[in-house]
Amino acid sequence: MTTRKSGSRLETEIERCRSEGQWDKIPELVRQLSAKLISNDDLGELLLGECKLQVYLKENPIKQGSSPRGPRLKLVEVRKHLTAALDRGNLKPDYLQEASLLMAKLCYVEAEFREALGHYGRVNLDEMQLAGAPVYRLSMIAEAYATKGTKTHPQNSGSPSSSRSTTDREQEIITCYEKSGDIALLYLQEAEKVSGIQNRSPKPGPTTQEQELGYFLETGLQRAHVIHFKNGNLTQGVGRFREILRAVETRTTQNLRMTIARQLAEILLRGMCEQSYWSPLEDPPAVSPLDDPTRQGHIYIKNYSLSRSPRLYSGENLFCPQENTEEALLLLLISESMANRDAVLSRIPEHNNDRIISLQSASVVYDLLTIALGRRGQYEMLSECLERAMKFAFEEFHLWYQLALSLMAAGKSARAVKVLKECIRLKPDDPTIPLLAVKLCIGPLHWLDEGEMFAKMVIDMGEKAAEFRAKGYLAIGLVYSLKATDASLRSSQEEYQRKALGAFQRAQSLSPTDHLAAFYLALQLAVSRQIPEALGYVRQALQLQGDDVHSLHLLALLLSAQKHYHDALNIIEMALSEYPENFNLLYTKVKLEAMCRGPEEALLTCKHMLQIWKSFYNLTNPSDSGRGSSLLDRAIADRRQLNAMTLPDFSDPETGSVHATSIAASRVEQALSEVASSLQSSAPKHGPIHPWMTLAQIWLHAAEVYIGMSKPAEAAACTQEAANLFPTSHNVLYMRGQIAELKGNIEEAKRWYEEALSINPTHVKTMQRLGLILHQLQRYSLSEKVLRDAVQVNSTAHDVWNSLGEVLQAQGNAAAATECFLTALELEASSPILPFTIIPRAL
Amino acid sequence: MLAMDQGVVEEWLSEFKTLPDSAISTYAVSLKDKGALVPALYKVIRENYSDLLEPVCHQLFEFYRSGVPQLQRFTLQFLPELLWSFLSVSAARDPHTSGCIEALLLGIYNLEIVDKDGQSKILSFTVPSLSKPSVYHEPSAIGSIALTEGALANHGQSRVVYSGPHLQRETFNAQNRFEVLTFLLLCYNAALSYMTTTSLQSLCQLSSRVCICGYPRQQMRRYKGISTRLTVTSEFLVQLITGIHYALCNGEVEVGSKALDDVLYRAQLELFPEALLVGNAIKSSLHGAALKSNNKEGTRSIQVEITPTSSRISRNAVTSLSIRGHRWKRHDAVDLGSPDELMDISEVDEGDWPVGLGSDMTPPTITISNSVTTLNLGIKAIKKCRLGGRSSKDKEAGPLTAVRAASESAELSVKRLTLTSSQSVPKAGALTSLTRTASAVFSRSFEQVNSGNGPAGNHVASEAGRYSCSLQEDGMGYLSPMPNHTQRSPSISIHLGSDL
Repeated sequence: MTTRKSGSRLETEIERCRSEGQWDKIPELVRQLSAKLISNDDLGELLLGECKLQVYLKENPIKQGSSPRGPRLKLVEVRKHLTAALDRGNLKPDYLQEASLLMAKLCYVEAEFREALGHYGRVNLDEMQLAGAPVYRLSMIAEAYATKGTKTHPQNSGSPSSSRSTTDREQEIITCYEKSGDIALLYLQEAEKVSGIQNRSPKPGPTTQEQELGYFLETGLQRAHVIHFKNGNLTQGVGRFREILRAVETRTTQNLRMTIARQLAEILLRGMCEQSYWSPLEDPPAVSPLDDPTRQGHIYIKNYSLSRSPRLYSGENLFCPQENTEEALLLLLISESMANRDAVLSRIPEHNNDRIISLQSASVVYDLLTIALGRRGQYEMLSECLERAMKFAFEEFHLWYQLALSLMAAGKSARAVKVLKECIRLKPDDPTIPLLAVKLCIGPLHWLDEGEMFAKMVIDMGEKAAEFRAKGYLAIGLVYSLKATDASLRSSQEEYQRKALGAFQRAQSLSPTDHLAAFYLALQLAVSRQIPEALGYVRQALQLQGDDVHSLHLLALLLSAQKHYHDALNIIEMALSEYPENFNLLYTKVKLEAMCRGPEEALLTCKHMLQIWKSFYNLTNPSDSGRGSSLLDRAIADRRQLNAMTLPDFSDPETGSVHATSIAASRVEQALSEVASSLQSSAPKHGPIHPWMTLAQIWLHAAEVYIGMSKPAEAAACTQEAANLFPTSHNVLYMRGQIAELKGNIEEAKRWYEEALSINPTHVKTMQRLGLILHQLQRYSLSEKVLRDAVQVNSTAHDVWNSLGEVLQAQGNAAAATECFLTALELEASSPILPFTIIPRAL
Repeated sequence: MLAMDQGVVEEWLSEFKTLPDSAISTYAVSLKDKGALVPALYKVIRENYSDLLEPVCHQLFEFYRSGVPQLQRFTLQFLPELLWSFLSVSAARDPHTSGCIEALLLGIYNLEIVDKDGQSKILSFTVPSLSKPSVYHEPSAIGSIALTEGALANHGQSRVVYSGPHLQRETFNAQNRFEVLTFLLLCYNAALSYMTTTSLQSLCQLSSRVCICGYPRQQMRRYKGISTRLTVTSEFLVQLITGIHYALCNGEVEVGSKALDDVLYRAQLELFPEALLVGNAIKSSLHGAALKSNNKEGTRSIQVEITPTSSRISRNAVTSLSIRGHRWKRHDAVDLGSPDELMDISEVDEGDWPVGLGSDMTPPTITISNSVTTLNLGIKAIKKCRLGGRSSKDKEAGPLTAVRAASESAELSVKRLTLTSSQSVPKAGALTSLTRTASAVFSRSFEQVNSGNGPAGNHVASEAGRYSCSLQEDGMGYLSPMPNHTQRSPSISIHLGSDL
């Protein structure tokens, strides 16, 4: 038995129940109420009518898109109650209004639109107080506006009524809906405040009952922007979306917000551009290309203001997007967090449908995120986002594939290969996926065995791989070619070279119009020193792709192997006119110039490289230009010195170098760990070479030129610059050894060479020099061993063969020595100015 | 070319020259009323050898240089056509004819790469972060789920440069060609809303041709122009895709989808991850959306409908959200407590695993119905991962890394095995919440098994059995289902790979 409540407490209780939608308690409260005051009978009728109507609607919800269904038996009672409440006219004005609104709603449910309008006519909605009104009344007003809008809707738009009045009507309708939506948002915020679940901690108990919006509020919240978009009025639609999204979220609006956020993001990405964008806190442009020009007459002007509006997100330093991608991203991140929260994790069959729904809504968001971030090149962030999508990804190829691609684009190669493996499992017929994996394996990862496996997958697909079959052969050819370079035994080297050649030939015959196949075939032939054949194929490659930088470079190297140095230099210069900033070409140019035109020209080229490097690096890192400047400025110190044909003066290490060194050291720390202190000028890594590595290489090339000019001091200065960047590089140490040799310090040179070899035990040039020094020191057997090792590593190094011959001769082994000299001679005849392997091999 | 067209173009050429400065803005507005002009100009650009080409290019450049937005857009609308003209001529290695188009393109480029003070323009944007309040959200309402380590690591927004600074270019060469063209497309894309349908169609056509010329698909498309392959870059394709996406969503469904297919085809052949990524996303996101092909000028296919606001996911499904509720409610017993305790754990990492820890947490022992195997997971598994994580790492890697590595891999195993999500684990609290999740999740999922007692239960169990956890590069593990689908016994193996 409920205890009797005093009048005001009872009223409060009734208000609370109405606000919280606890309709089942109303009849009991009405019973208590009627026992108190006579004049409250009418109020009782009102309440009973309301609660019965609400219960009916809860049990028979009106669906969007379907129209109300006419009178229902259950509603007869409702009508009786409400008529009773209205007829006697004893109600307080507030309640009288409520009764009219309820009556109108009832009429709407019963599809008595005209009558409903009549009831609305009795209430001036615009004058109803929003401030201080009980929560339930806000909902009532919002619903009333929504229904009013629906009924004012022109039912048959085809009627040729005067366009002026149609426009007015439309304006009125939209205003109704927008008001309804605003008040609905306000209502939901207030309702949440009242029920005390405002403080949503991260532990949303499943017990808190979710309030449902119901047909009327749903309509009120959404119809306005639907009409805007239908009318082609994008500007207004976007404005309305933003208004809804800026209102502080409530539990009930979460799903709506998620949908709207996604839709707005779609519009921002699909229908807007940077120039037509305006920020959420700005007024929209008066004329926008977004709006349908054929419907100019339908421009809607918002011309109302409510006495109380929903609370907006506010505070200091609120982030407000300034660009369409920014806004789209923000909205998508919000949607993503919601989609993630709703991820259905259970895999039991009953939840199949739920899982599909959650997957779909998440996939849409992730696709849009990909579009937005891809446009801006933010693959790193994208890969992090897609990583979060993995909870949806079980057996979902699209999500796995997108993750793999994003990892690849973000440069996370190892992980990308692993994800690609899963993609291959899910879609074994697609040749692109293993090819992407090979690309990574032979590129940044240098996982040749894995690469071979992936390439074989493509080849095994046979005819099914169609156009990708040739690519498969190209891929496996590259794997073998790289393996041949890596192999330490001559027999396996030759075996891999043979296999590589075969694969490239196959690729070339399968795809005769692909310049890459012809080019790699030429390169492989060149590496095996079949110079004339290589020349044939490189010409073919150039016919297919006239300005391919690698083909041009190879052509130059091939010409240099035939000792046509001037022709080679011409080719390089021609290539440089197309690729003026290609350092690889420039290195070759330095070598060729030193050969044909003397070291002065070569030094000029070195200087030119430093300039290019500076302009390049200054531009790519504008924020750092101040910090690195001392080194750079010194690098090109003074134009007047250019005439003196010497590189900048380093005689005073105290003034500049310290600063530069410390910066370089800190900058390069990371690079050092990556490249493991190996600075391979002979085989530069593909892809963006670290700028400091490039700089160090330039210095080393300059040092080499100075050594060629027998200028040890200048060479030492250049080497020092490189050493500041990469103190433990074997190339630097090798260069120091050469300088020491030039100065006649044999012991010191030997020490440097040994240090270089301790860092890179297979550096052939160092081995050759060390062998020579050991020879001079008359330690023949050790010298022979070093040189034999060197020949094992690279059997085409003619100077090593020559040195080996000398050592053998000194040991009195004339027969073997002759053989070595002959080999050296033969190899020298086909030796390019720089190794062919300087040309990167990648898919 | 018809004499009439020629007349229109000539009139346009002379009219602008005589225009006083004050009249330029009204002239700019009136340009779009000249109906015959734009098609006539397209003809001039297409017919490379027309005498009018040079003055037209010159005047288009003058338009661009005027700085009046309408005039600039007037020039921009011809950009796709100009690009194609330039590319096809340079592919045919006939360098003499495209001189004025080249000059026009370089002119626009050189104007656009600097701001009005002559400084190099740097295009940047802010990457929004959910951890900072915005006009649309409050960080507290998002909850911890979105605050992943990544988000926490770069707390707050960061400004990111996406284009620029660029060097002034005086000539085109093979090296800078696509750099310049990519930037020009970026400018075009920034004005997409102002472009006419003809221009959008021309963009789609350009995309198709650039991508298929010289490839077998060219026959399929029956395009008979040049047949040499054009080199492209991934960035260039991404810019093309951006424009195609707009065209696709704004009435050009037919040419647009053809162009998208062609770009994806080329991206596959070239193995460009960036272009594939964005192209796939567009294809997949438009898959559901019904695109209406409309020939009427200005019709947009962007439509929204009223959607139900209640959640479409049934209440009793286990979601990331609901599972968190469970964790808090049921498993206070395994709560490690204050984060201070956690700090201790990570600090003593160099030594042995703290013994005291084990007594606090009883590893949940889970018995699965219809199976004799007992899974004893939880902290032991985590411990195992942790040790593995450390051993495979560099010794210098801090203690936190090891714990994180372990937590990540263990967490991921949890994710796959059972039904939780990848939680955002704040670094310090990693272990606490992890164990909570782990235990909560294990008992939760196996409860279902117990209650299910039927085929459904079996399903989960066998599902769980099929995964193995491996610790991979960067300490990030993820799981791959083993190919052996028939394996039924729920054994969980943890492989520790050190692919570092």
